[in-house]
Amino acid sequence: MKAATLRTFQTVHTWTGLLAGFALFVAFYAGALTVFHDDIAAWQNPPWRAAADAEVSLDTLMERLLAQHPDVRDDFGIILPRDGSHAAYAYWEAKDGTRFATASQMEAPRTEAAENELADFVYALHDSLGLPVIGLYLMGIVSVLYGLALLSGILIHLPQLAKDFFAMRVGRNLKRLWQDAHNAIGVISLPFHVIFAVTGALFCLFTITLVSLNTIAFDGKLFDAFARATATTPTVTASGTPATMLTTDALIERARAEAMKSGVTTFEPDYMHFVHYGDRNAVAEVRGLSQHTLGSYGTVAMSAHDGRVLGTYVGDRYSLNGISYASLFGLHFGSFGGRTVQWLYFILGLGGAFLFYSGNLLWIESRRKRRHLDQPRKTWVMARATVGVCIGSCLAISGAFVATWVAERLGVDAGVPQRAACYGLFLGACAYACLRPVARATVELLWATAALTSAMAIVDLAVNASAMLHDGSPLTWRVIGVDLTGIALGIVFALFARAAARRARTGDANSVWALRAASPSATGSGLSQ
Amino acid sequence: MIARCLAGTLLGFPLAALLLALLLHLLPGHGEAFLIPALILFFPLWTAFMAGAYMFRNGLRAWLVMGGANAVVFGALWLLRLPG
Repeated sequence: MKAATLRTFQTVHTWTGLLAGFALFVAFYAGALTVFHDDIAAWQNPPWRAAADAEVSLDTLMERLLAQHPDVRDDFGIILPRDGSHAAYAYWEAKDGTRFATASQMEAPRTEAAENELADFVYALHDSLGLPVIGLYLMGIVSVLYGLALLSGILIHLPQLAKDFFAMRVGRNLKRLWQDAHNAIGVISLPFHVIFAVTGALFCLFTITLVSLNTIAFDGKLFDAFARATATTPTVTASGTPATMLTTDALIERARAEAMKSGVTTFEPDYMHFVHYGDRNAVAEVRGLSQHTLGSYGTVAMSAHDGRVLGTYVGDRYSLNGISYASLFGLHFGSFGGRTVQWLYFILGLGGAFLFYSGNLLWIESRRKRRHLDQPRKTWVMARATVGVCIGSCLAISGAFVATWVAERLGVDAGVPQRAACYGLFLGACAYACLRPVARATVELLWATAALTSAMAIVDLAVNASAMLHDGSPLTWRVIGVDLTGIALGIVFALFARAAARRARTGDANSVWALRAASPSATGSGLSQ
Repeated sequence: MIARCLAGTLLGFPLAALLLALLLHLLPGHGEAFLIPALILFFPLWTAFMAGAYMFRNGLRAWLVMGGANAVVFGALWLLRLPG
């Protein structure tokens, strides 16, 4: 490639990285935690502090749903509890939007799927920065920019990749060390990033893309074709003859037996869907998670009246369309290979967050004036933004954990406190990074994050120690796992804090990160002392 | 730079869509069995066009070539659909 073209791609890489980097940092840090969604849920509601309605049976939930809202029987879904400490809930389409309700909420159903679940809030931060509607589109655009940054990054580094790949030039030249770390992480986790850029864009921009493609290139036939390609519910018309329905347990058992005949080793049901419930032609679908298969979420469709199997979309009985569709979810969420893959996704997710953070540091380093004490204004702004947004979002997420923990102990609904703590701490950290000398702000925010994250975990372990000893169920291990991970993350943040403090004290004085060069003025014009 | 960026983004989008539609149309059964893999290819293809647009010498060439490619693929698709 010509040098001029290479330079163009360098510019593209820099700009897409700068535009998308901050949002991607949040998506990756929250996404790494989201890998352990169910464990975080168990942490919030451990067996000894089960959520409301956790002990209500599925059939009771269905009875109350149909008694209170008889008109939903033509189409409704049941989200099965992820563990024994959570409640199943029903959802259906009302005239003015979707409704959700556990057994005791039937009279006043919710309009949001989960209002106080920390795990779902962290997921919302991951997929839309927690912003309604607009956030998802924003993250879709970010995913496209991310794809472009990835592609241009490969094009820039391809020529010297073979030569420099395993080089880690640890030495006095910090920029080169950051560059090597950035490249090594980028290349090692490349397949993982390709997966996220593609599936992220698809998940976030799915509706808009389908509408545009339908108009531009598919002659208005795409919607029907897509529905046919992904359908798992057989089309049936109600017979008008009432009939007895099988119990949910019987349906789940039958689905599991059927799924296991399709070459999978596990099938853990997480969702049921009913059509024309109570009619002779009623259909029940059971979706379940299978491990060690690419199509990790499979569905079995049955007659709800006699349990006849109407369709199986599991394991080796997938079509090419079905397996491609299902593998999008498996690959994005890392749900296909048990604990090992979850840990791999967690580490690669944190590595991804570091990739975007190091990208910003590289930008600052390469614009540094080596012979001047004062640094250009734009590097000050970038340094403050990087510290405020990146460290701030880590602090904010730990704050959401603390707020949830306290709210649960006070018997208050955790929904509002966790959001207030998260956004409050985030904005506070950004303001702090703008006002305080940036070298000090970095160190202090890192220490605050380290302290908050590990203190939360240690307090939870200490307070729950006796309950954990008494209970001893697999769920308890999940709670302990979350706490130990919190302590480990706290230690990592503390190590970063120490390194940043050392650089501020003894590193090159001609840098925005040096304490001596730290400007007293808030705008950071860079006049020293 | 901006002109090439816009060419890749604005013209790359329909070009990727039209190419996939053409590919599916040529496959047996109008590619119904390959619809989801084709949709998965959409974003990588669009991104490739966005990056590819920077290979042109200037913005004008990028717009002309990519615009022409759009017209050709659209024309081919239209002709193929005529009898059916």
